[in-house]
Amino acid sequence: MHWLHRLGPEAQSLNEIHSKFLQMIQDGRHIFDAAANALLGGTSPQVIRNDLFETDRRINRTEQEIRRQIVVHGSIHGAATFPALLVMMSLVKDAERIGDYAKNIFDLTKVGLDLEAGPREAALVPLKDKISKLLVRAHGLFERQDTAKAREFLSEVVELEDECDAAVEELLRLSGRNTSPAVLTYRYFKRVISHIGNVVTSLVVPLDKLDYFDEPRDKQ
Amino acid sequence: MNGIATAPSERPEPPTQLQRTLGVLLRVALVLLLLYFFLVAIQMMGGSIKMMGKDASEGLFAGVNNPFAGLAVGILATVLVQSSSTTTSTIVALVGGGSLTVEQAVPMIMGANIGTTITNTLVSIGHIRKSMSFRRAFAAATVHDFFNLLCVIVLLPLEIAFGFLAHSAEWLTSLILGAPGAESAAHGGVHYDSPIKVAVKTAFKALQGLLQDFGFEGTSLAVAILVIGIALTFTCLILITKNMRTLVSGPLEHALNRSLGKSGLIGIVIGILVTAAVQSSSITTSLLVPLCAAGILSLENAFPIMLGANIGTTITAMLASLGTDERGGLTIALVHLCFNLCGVLLFYPIKRLRRIPIQAARFLANKASENPFWVLGYVAGVFIVMPLLGWWAFGKLQ
Repeated sequence: MHWLHRLGPEAQSLNEIHSKFLQMIQDGRHIFDAAANALLGGTSPQVIRNDLFETDRRINRTEQEIRRQIVVHGSIHGAATFPALLVMMSLVKDAERIGDYAKNIFDLTKVGLDLEAGPREAALVPLKDKISKLLVRAHGLFERQDTAKAREFLSEVVELEDECDAAVEELLRLSGRNTSPAVLTYRYFKRVISHIGNVVTSLVVPLDKLDYFDEPRDKQ
Repeated sequence: MNGIATAPSERPEPPTQLQRTLGVLLRVALVLLLLYFFLVAIQMMGGSIKMMGKDASEGLFAGVNNPFAGLAVGILATVLVQSSSTTTSTIVALVGGGSLTVEQAVPMIMGANIGTTITNTLVSIGHIRKSMSFRRAFAAATVHDFFNLLCVIVLLPLEIAFGFLAHSAEWLTSLILGAPGAESAAHGGVHYDSPIKVAVKTAFKALQGLLQDFGFEGTSLAVAILVIGIALTFTCLILITKNMRTLVSGPLEHALNRSLGKSGLIGIVIGILVTAAVQSSSITTSLLVPLCAAGILSLENAFPIMLGANIGTTITAMLASLGTDERGGLTIALVHLCFNLCGVLLFYPIKRLRRIPIQAARFLANKASENPFWVLGYVAGVFIVMPLLGWWAFGKLQ
């Protein structure tokens, strides 16, 4: 009776796209950890360089595969599937951007970052760990389509984004030392956090509101 | 993923495995029932023309004695119903009922092959606002047209001169059914019908009796059966295609995903399998148009899938022949198969020949993307004006 499960409108196709997207999130966590550890954790950039770029290429390939599958799926199944496919089209971009920001973070290893320069610099290490855990949790939430915990998750995302904004503001006001690497790191961290947030947003808001989970805060 | 873009409270419960399995089984049963009605419809069309008498049927099809007129009728009929399966099934019914000869029907079958390509050409016009997408989409649609046109240009004169398709199909018919009269002889002169044919004839006779109860007799009875037969054929094919498309959409998507970036025999096999499953080459070829428009499938990789679709679509005529009385029904269905196989063998294996329809489609698509009047001129010219002129001019030559 196995052949029966392959027939029918639902079939395996969306599940396959879903799995590939989860793989992108997993790779996103891997590449973020690698880059952030090279910048903040003392891992030698030379050691992880090849792995980091290979992971980024894999993320990009998966994004393209998913896009192709989305076009095929939409052509076969028609308009009924468009909302889900449009959401996925947007989400793969978010997952791909995590890879890009990880590379930006890795590029900062060329100039280096002094963690003992001040409290904001020192706070980057626990923030890095929180982001890494966010990526793991986002993967789990998306896999289980856990809408209840998604809202809780998004409020944490907003808090972390605020923390990054406050740090950038404070660092920019400082004078007497070079705060640019720390500012850029906070900025990149915030972008990674936002992209993870966008992914989880898809669990709780309709298509047109995608990416706008922090809108009420902006209006205040 | 399901319902991903809706708020949690609005999300419908996904079907359970049991519900899904039952749904699939019901759909399979529905398709089998529709296939049965399709065969009954074929029997009705063939039987009704036979009931009209020899003179009436000869008068009806006198206009297609000229092969070019037959070709034109095949194109026009298919353009009108947007389904070569309906046209070829009708032709099979007419040949199987003895109203048309195989020789008369061969050009009509070729015409059906050309006529069916209008569907994906019309689909490609949906991309006309985006020049690059339209160029790719229109090329993907018209490569099928050019291939079918080239096949007719090469094979129709050969068929008129030597009748090689009809002879090959007759030889194949003898292989399948035995020599004419052999079956009866083997059963002591008693004609033996398959259980399918018996079931089909029973339904046909029941309907005939029902119509007679309503007062239909003679010619009015034949006309009523013919009209119902045509309507039933059309309806059954639409519903079979619709249900089969739903049933095989998963494997179809899987196959298409795997075929992207691959060419050659894999594409041909995928085209055959997909089209045989959905019973419509238009579905297969129209699916390729948006993939080519998006640039994820190249014209070179789409082309073999279309060739496979041409072969796969011949299964409908084969099925239709099961509902006919005469061996001619199977013969003309085999002509359809032989014609499409010859086309593939002629234009695919040699790279230079393969490039002819591809380059022609690219040339036309470039022109069409620069000036939309090329689209109008091409569609109207190939699918309407030329066949109408051909029918009018050659139909007079007996």
